[in-house]
Amino acid sequence: MTSPAASLSAVRVPKWAFAVSLLGLIVTYLVLQENGLALGAGSELLHEFFHDGRHALGVPCH
Amino acid sequence: MTTYKSIALRGIAAGGIAGVASALVQLLVTEIPIRAALAVEEARAPAGEEAGHSHGGEGELVSRGAQVVGGMLGVVIVGIAVGLVFATAYALSKRWFSGSTPFTRSATFGAAVFGAVALLPWLKYPANPPAVGDPETVNYRTALYLGVVVAGLVIVWGASLLAEQLRAQSQPVRATAVLLAVAAATAVVLLAFPAPPDTIPADMPVTVLWQFRLSSLAQLATLYVGIGVVFGLLVDPATRKAKTPAAAL
Repeated sequence: MTSPAASLSAVRVPKWAFAVSLLGLIVTYLVLQENGLALGAGSELLHEFFHDGRHALGVPCH
Repeated sequence: MTTYKSIALRGIAAGGIAGVASALVQLLVTEIPIRAALAVEEARAPAGEEAGHSHGGEGELVSRGAQVVGGMLGVVIVGIAVGLVFATAYALSKRWFSGSTPFTRSATFGAAVFGAVALLPWLKYPANPPAVGDPETVNYRTALYLGVVVAGLVIVWGASLLAEQLRAQSQPVRATAVLLAVAAATAVVLLAFPAPPDTIPADMPVTVLWQFRLSSLAQLATLYVGIGVVFGLLVDPATRKAKTPAAAL
């Protein structure tokens, strides 16, 4: 085994990677937390649709 | 030479696979106590409509069948999103387990993330099935929940920092010191955050409640540990190397 981690520290992380990660967090928020804060009235449909998943992943719900 | 893009794609793949596995756990395991909890909620219904919320039945916004499918879809989407963030954090981190194989690093990181964003909040604010939460306190509960998640991530980050600081120490001393520090920080978080604000309604059977909570934990473990293991398989050159000798001939 030749320094297994070496190839990884060589990965250069571009700036847009942070935008991509932020997008990931926003998607997670929309699916798991959206209670009307960001999308207003349209959120209720989203809220109900993902309802079981939110409960199952242990996120607080109504 | 590995690029960030290839790492990110593997994160998405790992998240998708772990998300599907977690969604299957939901369909086969978690839905059982959810159905039981909805029956409890339905039994209450004649007393009056719950404000702004429906779980099927009269005037439903989304049918029960759609909620089951939507819930599974939501888990897969969350898996993909978390996988992407996981891969980025993995690409950025150079600190922890720098001497280990990519698979060990990824699997350990997945287990640590599970501890921080799933197990710790689960211990402090155990998951509740439908028919338990009080709509009045949902924002307060969400803030507490997110606070514990952030605290958990800070503990993981601090543990890696401490491990780095103790590099001069022997491996057993280092591991013991980091474990003690994590245990102490976890105890502080559990004691410092306020108790869950809601009481469990008397009509919710304890067996249903705990069946749901344990199912939820199993599903979270499948998701986060799954991401760590699958990403590790995808990112470790050894996964493919094992086959190459035959091909090289």
